[in-house]
Amino acid sequence: MAAYDVIIIGGGPGGYVAAERLGARKKKVLLIEKEALGGTCLNVGCIPTKTLLNSAKHYVHALEGEKYGIKTTGTSFDWAAMQAWKGEVVEKLRAGIAATEKRLGVEVLAAEARLLGIGKVEARDSRGAATVHEAPAIIVATGSTPAMPPIPGTKDNSRVVDSTGLLELKEVPKRLCVIGGGVIGVEFAGLFAALGSQVEVVEMMDEIVPFMDKEQAPVLRRAMKGVAFRLGCKVERLEGATVRYKAKDGDAAAEADLVLMAVGRRPVLEGWGAKEAGLDMTPRGLVVDERMRTNLPGVWAVGDVTGKSLLAHSAYRMADVAVADILAGGGASRRADRMRYDAVPWAVYGITEAAGVGMTEQEALAKGIGILKASLPLRVSGRFCAENGFASQGAVKVLADRGSGRLLGVHVVGAYASEMIWGAAALIEQELRIADAREVIFPHPTVCEAIRDALFELEHE
Amino acid sequence: MAHLLIMPRQGNTVESCIIVRWKAAEGQSVQSDQTVCEVETDKASFDVPAGASGFLLKILRPEGDDVPVLEPIAVIGERGEDWQAALGGAAPAAPSATATAASAGPAPARVAPAASATPPQAPVAAGVSAVSPRARKLAAAEGVDAPNLAGSGPGGRVIERDVTAALAGRPPLTAAAKAAVLAGAPAPAFGTALGGRAGLADLGSKAPSAPAETGNVFTETPLKGVRKLISERMRASLAGTAQLTFNGSAAAARLQALRARFKASDPALGLSEVTIGDLVLYAVSRVLPRFPNANATLENGALRVYERVHLALAVDTPRGLMVPVIRDADLLSLRQISAQAKRLAAACQAGNINPDELSGGTFTVSNLGAFGIESFTPVLYAPQVAILGVDAIMPRAASGPGGTVVLEQRIGLSITVDHQVIDGAPAARLLKAFADAIADIDLLLMA
Repeated sequence: MAAYDVIIIGGGPGGYVAAERLGARKKKVLLIEKEALGGTCLNVGCIPTKTLLNSAKHYVHALEGEKYGIKTTGTSFDWAAMQAWKGEVVEKLRAGIAATEKRLGVEVLAAEARLLGIGKVEARDSRGAATVHEAPAIIVATGSTPAMPPIPGTKDNSRVVDSTGLLELKEVPKRLCVIGGGVIGVEFAGLFAALGSQVEVVEMMDEIVPFMDKEQAPVLRRAMKGVAFRLGCKVERLEGATVRYKAKDGDAAAEADLVLMAVGRRPVLEGWGAKEAGLDMTPRGLVVDERMRTNLPGVWAVGDVTGKSLLAHSAYRMADVAVADILAGGGASRRADRMRYDAVPWAVYGITEAAGVGMTEQEALAKGIGILKASLPLRVSGRFCAENGFASQGAVKVLADRGSGRLLGVHVVGAYASEMIWGAAALIEQELRIADAREVIFPHPTVCEAIRDALFELEHE
Repeated sequence: MAHLLIMPRQGNTVESCIIVRWKAAEGQSVQSDQTVCEVETDKASFDVPAGASGFLLKILRPEGDDVPVLEPIAVIGERGEDWQAALGGAAPAAPSATATAASAGPAPARVAPAASATPPQAPVAAGVSAVSPRARKLAAAEGVDAPNLAGSGPGGRVIERDVTAALAGRPPLTAAAKAAVLAGAPAPAFGTALGGRAGLADLGSKAPSAPAETGNVFTETPLKGVRKLISERMRASLAGTAQLTFNGSAAAARLQALRARFKASDPALGLSEVTIGDLVLYAVSRVLPRFPNANATLENGALRVYERVHLALAVDTPRGLMVPVIRDADLLSLRQISAQAKRLAAACQAGNINPDELSGGTFTVSNLGAFGIESFTPVLYAPQVAILGVDAIMPRAASGPGGTVVLEQRIGLSITVDHQVIDGAPAARLLKAFADAIADIDLLLMA
């Protein structure tokens, strides 16, 4: 008889949430993590970057305070102290996860896991001692790592770091070149620009943050005053910290002290026996169905390793879906949860935030969906003006289906965007139409009221 | 003096009927025996005669209304007469005991059972069903494709409860999906959106997909109509009685010989259609009065022993088992029993059996002989306390003259009794009496 009900490989957002859910349902759970609980998100992703960014916000607000009647002199930042605060936050949250797992009876094992096949997982501890554990259900949540493209001059180049390396910097670079204008690149660019670094972002595509609406991305770029964006530029090679790239009008170079490689992340598909066990995969991730089942019976996969949506909150949801399926006994329960990707909100953090959920205008057009759209500057919000001035960048855009009136997408650039977007996700997830959504009461004074205003801007009965 | 036309009572189990169609309009002159409206229950539809000659002054309940029995549905009287006077001031929308009392005249008595007065109604063609007005209204409001529902009404007619059942079996819709369904999009059978709601992606989705483990596809249909009724009655029977079955057999030589002679007889005698099953029914009708405790019902701890044998007959129909009743079978001749059995079975098959004829049975016969069944355990049609199962006629070994073994045609008999009131020995005696009567059926007929 198997010693555990469920074995989970990986203690990141997908893994530890699944463990909590199962523990709360009195399942006997083994959670195997080779590094630190919390995964990329807590240790080298969401949380440490947001902690540093918060410090940067305080710094910027102090510098810009005079406009609002606050005078400071000798304002400066202490990078080491910022890093120390970051460390404290991460450590305390990590301890919080460990305490929660313990409270819920989840057994956490610090070891490297290997899937031996259906129902069997080997755990090898730091001294190399291996034990085999069995369970009728296994959840794979091995996550992802920063991708390192084979750009000439990258290998063994001490001036090139990935996001993990950048978080460990001992000092702030004077000049930073970011290769890749995705979420990670833009966030770090914003952080270091706020701290006074001279930042250049080199992006191969014509616009930053590929999943942003093409009308909104420029608003975000304009908000990031200290950052130079080189769009449509292909990096050719690195020479030390000099990034040579091909622009539309010829070759160019970005001189920097440090280069951040932020071209994306790739799922961790190797080193834990996936291929040997016979799991179906593509280079983009493990193949899973809408209930997070892999091709192997009794093996589920959640989070970045599926390559479906590399976001911590997607991993949380995937964990819930997998757990629901496991608790249903693997049967075809009609009410079983299904993973849906149509209303996964995203957020880009910075002094100015961006967030969105649902379709962009470009996606809707590509699908041939007739749309209604309305965009408003966030200046329609009294609170936004009071807190950001009248010249600040900020906009909201709402899209709806022209025929049915159903909301298709909500996109926001500006303060609090990340905090308000869940509400839009709820509207879209419920397939509310414009008329339905207009009945929802928004609090005042808030920035999110701009979404309500935009709903009324749509030309719809 | 105007009189109230009331919704007639259709058997003991029918509490209300749906008005399917008014066949006379307000202001029209009607004759006493003229059909003025058609009503339906979950089992059958039937016509309601005017009950009095005059003018149809007022229709109180519109088509589609589900009206409790004995409540007024129309007023018939002289031209220009005040129809409200007949109601005694009671509001038509809320008719009640007072209204019924006000009509305590000839009206209820004059309402004749419809089946005897009107020809059977043709069943509706399969595939697309007729829809009662009330069902149609609800279906339109909720976006249900009513004509394609499996109707539980007569002839597969879709009535309100079918639409309600369809709604109960449908997931809640998102706002956008509901709008789409009302606009004509196919309704979803299950949902994959928030909390199991059906969203736009689910429009037209089929009932639950296959379990991945077995790869076995299935469809799921909630029980309704006759099937639901059978399900409830059978479960109640097994749960509420102490059933015990005895198997035996009777010599069938004379049964078969008689049947052969009937078949070859002059049709003018009216016996050529008499079957072996009819002969068994006749035997039962004649034996039962000698075993009064088996011609009985047990309800609420009280045994009712009946004077007359109301012989119930299990009939296999496309909609499921139906059990019509031959009343006073112990008084009927073989020819009459045979004719009744045929008429009732046909009405059940056609789905237009009068509900009155589905109640009041005191003993049931279930004949599976035609299927070659050798023995089975009939389930009591509670509250009846006994049921006879009739099995196939098979050649069986019997001892012949001089210690030889001969083959004898014998008909199997399986009797189930409720041990609460019939013990083993009396049950065995009853079965033996049936067997003896069947073995000497020719003598019984002459008795």
